[in-house]
Amino acid sequence: MFGFGQPKLSSEEKIAAVENEIKVMTEMQTRMAKICSQKCIDSTYREGELSKGEASCLDRCSAKFFEAHTTISDQLQKEQAAKGGMMGR
Amino acid sequence: MDSLTNSEQQILADRIQKRQMKQFMGIFGNLVDSCFTSCVDDFQSKALSGRETGCLTRCVQKWMTTNERMGERFAELNAAEMERQQRAAGR
Repeated sequence: MFGFGQPKLSSEEKIAAVENEIKVMTEMQTRMAKICSQKCIDSTYREGELSKGEASCLDRCSAKFFEAHTTISDQLQKEQAAKGGMMGR
Repeated sequence: MDSLTNSEQQILADRIQKRQMKQFMGIFGNLVDSCFTSCVDDFQSKALSGRETGCLTRCVQKWMTTNERMGERFAELNAAEMERQQRAAGR
């Protein structure tokens, strides 16, 4: 992740890098849970248990969410590269 | 990425725990807002009806189960994605 002959990271930098990655992933998980709940869960709450339909919907929603994330990320990179690139990649 | 030493891992674990404690109040607030919005609509009375209380209870139950399931799915999907990226990079 930090190649290119940079000096070795300090202890604090390594910890901060992992902590940040966890933070990013946790945020993605939270967003995914919120959106898929809205799309899949019956908000009249007639039952406290997930129905089979709701459970399947959540599973498929999360798989699609991940794929959408990747698709959008790739597309964004393509667009930026075509425009001469914000990231210079 | 270099892996963390034991003491570094401990520091990380402490920070994660502190962060989770801070986040809990926010998460709790969202849950209250969400379940209240879905369940409570009748303001003829200032006390929650039995129906509303039942709804709130089931709302929390479902939220817990959903969160658990989403956590499992996320871990699986994330692991698959990392593997995919590593395979793509290794080409």
